[in-house]
Amino acid sequence: MKMPDLGERGNVTGPQPIAQIVEPPAAMLAAARSLLNALMRGDRAGVEAMTAEQAREDMDRIASEIKPGRYDKFELIGRGRISRHYFLKARLTGTDAPRFTIQFRLGEDDGKWTVREALNLTGRRSGWTK
Amino acid sequence: MQRMIPVDKLARPEDHILLPAQRLRKARGEQGLTPGNAMPYEDDFLKSRMHGICAGEFQAMEAAGRTLYDFPDAPWEFQLDMARQVWDESRHAEIYMKLLEYVGSYYGEFPEGEVLWSCTQAEDPAARVAGINRGLEGLACDVFEQLIRIAQKMGDSTIERSVDYVLADEITHVRMGSKWMRQLTEGDPERLKRAQAFQDSIDDLFNFGGGRTTVEQAGHIKQRVNEKEIEIDSSITIAREARLLAGFTEEEIDRLIKGFGKSSAY
Repeated sequence: MKMPDLGERGNVTGPQPIAQIVEPPAAMLAAARSLLNALMRGDRAGVEAMTAEQAREDMDRIASEIKPGRYDKFELIGRGRISRHYFLKARLTGTDAPRFTIQFRLGEDDGKWTVREALNLTGRRSGWTK
Repeated sequence: MQRMIPVDKLARPEDHILLPAQRLRKARGEQGLTPGNAMPYEDDFLKSRMHGICAGEFQAMEAAGRTLYDFPDAPWEFQLDMARQVWDESRHAEIYMKLLEYVGSYYGEFPEGEVLWSCTQAEDPAARVAGINRGLEGLACDVFEQLIRIAQKMGDSTIERSVDYVLADEITHVRMGSKWMRQLTEGDPERLKRAQAFQDSIDDLFNFGGGRTTVEQAGHIKQRVNEKEIEIDSSITIAREARLLAGFTEEEIDRLIKGFGKSSAY
């Protein structure tokens, strides 16, 4: 959508738009891809290595619901950030496999992005469902 | 007919991140931020605040539409007011989507919470308008007045005028809520009490543990905006003047400031 004319700009400070869109860090997206590949392969150790202690139980449950090799593609379908943490929504697909949807939060410490929380959204109407 | 539909029945694009409020708070807390909303001194304040408002406008539009649909036996003028409010909120959502783009953001950049929808969870139209129009739209008066003052200090007439335009509508929504809360409960003090209690619960929800204060009493913090250094509030304030214009009484405003949400009819 193109920015429409919002009228008088004479005394508006600075260039417009007044701030730039924050692009997602490449390292965060790379971490998300690694995590999803590890989940699809059934690489539990790989998944665990990318998961912070607080999210291990949830992530372990999610990993146990994904049969290794059943899914061969993923798509990042949603992204939202809270300050420097990113929530990502991903869908796993595979031949003859029901779609699997997962939402997780990645945060960075000392250059390493790890999962801070995870939700299995498969079969749920939305992440609002408690 | 089902009333008080759960929040996850609201339609949203698949690429949006939807989260219960406690998950939003947790994510902020883990980063050393105040658990509630973005505060004026944060880097992302304008983007985040406008995003929250934009999501609120969408939910307010859905809420007014739902109120119209849920109470077919309500007076025709009540239904007309709700229909008008749907139209107002849809314009507001559009304005905030444009403002998001103006501040280098877009709708969907941040997750959307569900807490505002809790203001619709009332079976009685009198309570519904007390919660949405007086509680939620009263909060909007506070938040918008603060944004206008920040925009004035930034010298940004685009934000100042756009938000002022929306604030004018919110003031009429509060008045509408007061009118219908009173008319629908006429001769039924118990019903009025229940409607007020519902509004009190909304006011309490957004009073952030009594952490809000007046414009005059708010602390300030310096922030750079391009070449300018401006002083902005360090917390969310209560907009006495806008609330008075909307028809809240001095007593009601004082109670809010003291951290009580108790309302009185007027």
